[in-house]
Amino acid sequence: MQNIYLPYTAEITRIKQETPDVKTLSLRFTDEAVAKNFSYKPGQFVEFSVLGEGESTFCISNSPTRPVRARTPEVSDGCLRQPGSNGASIECSIKQMGKVTQAIHELDVGDTVGIRGPYGNGFPLENLKGKNLLFVAGGIGLAPLRSLINYCLDKRGDFKILTIVNGARTSKDLVYQDEYENWKKQKDTSLHLTVDCNEENWTCMVGVVPKILEQLKPTCLDSAVIVCGPPVMIKYTIPALLKLGFCPEEIITTLEMKMKCGLGKCGRCNIGNLYICKDGPVFNLAQLNKLQYSI
Amino acid sequence: MSEDMQRIITKEELNAKIKELLKENEIIIPKQLLNKGIFYQKILDTDNLVLAEGFATEPIKKFFLEPSSWIIKEGKDLEQAQTKRIIIGARPCEGRGLELLDKIFDAEYKDNFYINNRQRTLIIGLACDGPDRCCFCASMGGSPVEARGMDALLYTPLENFMEHKGNSLTGYTFADKYIVEVITDKAKDIFAPLGKELDAETKKNWQKDKEKRINALQKKISPPESMDDIFQSDYWKEVSQSCLSCGVCTYLCPTCHCFDLVDEARKRLRCYDGCAFADFTLETSGANPRPTKKERYRQRVYHKFDYFKKNFGENLCVGCGRCIRHCPVKIDIAEIVANAPIRL
Repeated sequence: MQNIYLPYTAEITRIKQETPDVKTLSLRFTDEAVAKNFSYKPGQFVEFSVLGEGESTFCISNSPTRPVRARTPEVSDGCLRQPGSNGASIECSIKQMGKVTQAIHELDVGDTVGIRGPYGNGFPLENLKGKNLLFVAGGIGLAPLRSLINYCLDKRGDFKILTIVNGARTSKDLVYQDEYENWKKQKDTSLHLTVDCNEENWTCMVGVVPKILEQLKPTCLDSAVIVCGPPVMIKYTIPALLKLGFCPEEIITTLEMKMKCGLGKCGRCNIGNLYICKDGPVFNLAQLNKLQYSI
Repeated sequence: MSEDMQRIITKEELNAKIKELLKENEIIIPKQLLNKGIFYQKILDTDNLVLAEGFATEPIKKFFLEPSSWIIKEGKDLEQAQTKRIIIGARPCEGRGLELLDKIFDAEYKDNFYINNRQRTLIIGLACDGPDRCCFCASMGGSPVEARGMDALLYTPLENFMEHKGNSLTGYTFADKYIVEVITDKAKDIFAPLGKELDAETKKNWQKDKEKRINALQKKISPPESMDDIFQSDYWKEVSQSCLSCGVCTYLCPTCHCFDLVDEARKRLRCYDGCAFADFTLETSGANPRPTKKERYRQRVYHKFDYFKKNFGENLCVGCGRCIRHCPVKIDIAEIVANAPIRL
């Protein structure tokens, strides 16, 4: 019988400094069989560990349609497309916050880390098909959405209009900046960037995400919205979305809570009788209301 | 599994058998430790063997889900312990506790450490002959005389029990005779050659005696059918006010299983943790979804009497009373659940 707590080993093939405190790490599984068979959905997460320092939960931030090409640590410009293949390698974007993330930030290309997963339900891709999608991200909350956005772009025919609203405290805190141009260029796709306070030379929008949504007035018809960001952003974004006419079933979010096992055993991430790790992390607002989860 | 088997065996027979089993097995029994209480411990010989008659402070959970155990060493898997173990004298509530833990650790994602511990351990229980004031197993779908989750159950002789008055917390003599109810084939191998079959008269008396022992339970509660409507109630604040967040309730509970994964040098440990602690859900950002004792205590009550019931159809409580017996501020979860308001 397998040890469910034993991670796969993965080598860091690339490290990209996204913002002053966020790094994106590209990982290649050491075991070829694992690399070949590891498949996931946008919105799923992994338990990422540095032995001796600890284990933390991070979403997989690249789309399974865009696996990071293995054995190319010298590639510097990000994702190379290999549509249709399984996610041979994965990317995680990690903000320096505590003990484990500090240890991760100290790692170099070539270092080995532990990865368990993929865990969680991921985004309801089938339900999203054929709809207009509104992506609302705050700060590092863009990480799981980036996986989904690129997935949708690679299966463009399955979705209608894609609208991305991405907010950060300052322009320095905007992650995945090198992907913005590509997103804007895509057919029926728009990107709205916003920062909390005005800055010199800033040409995009200014204001917190709920305010921007009120200005943009995205259509709720035939639409679903996917929200991810810090709790305070979600708290004020949900009422704004309800006001715009989105129904609770179409407001989808991915939750975060302290997790240890990722398997629904360690008891931390209960919401109602469900576990965020096992039954989530993706829920719609109707489900959360039923679970008496207060955002 | 073949049909049930019951035997009457003598103390001498059991002792001799234990001595024989000691050659190839670790034997664990509840032992009275001076001024400390009763604790399950490994025995090295059968001299002066006594099965403590009261309730062990810690449940046998610790032999299956250790307070802390290595799960990874030097980045590699650990070898599973192979030693065969026999626990003698565990109480029916503890066997049931394991059955409930099986639903978590021997389910969707199988915990090989737990399962290995289960597989290498034979449990010979000891039916309770006198409940204490905190016991309420019958209210939780259990019974002081059932063998669920165990391989066999010893039953103290009827004549002794008839003379027995009050609770048995103070006396601990190894009875002269036992009725043993054999459940699994593994236990059958041990007990089949011992003692003799029960005659019809003894069987009849035994059934009567079982009922008597069940009826001796004073504490009876009926948890509410649903607590959905009172999640936001201030009741949870009131009842958790005196909680010291010491976590003894979770540590001693036969079914509490929340754990932490902790790294130490190049090893990773799985350690007990509990919802009573403030840092259990504290996030790095400083946010805490269960910021006060109200949310934390409510989580414990709901996990046991609502969430688990929704997921598995049973309460995650066996009514052993340990959390009540050992709570420094006398919080009584049974009373709290029984007295919960129906609506906000």
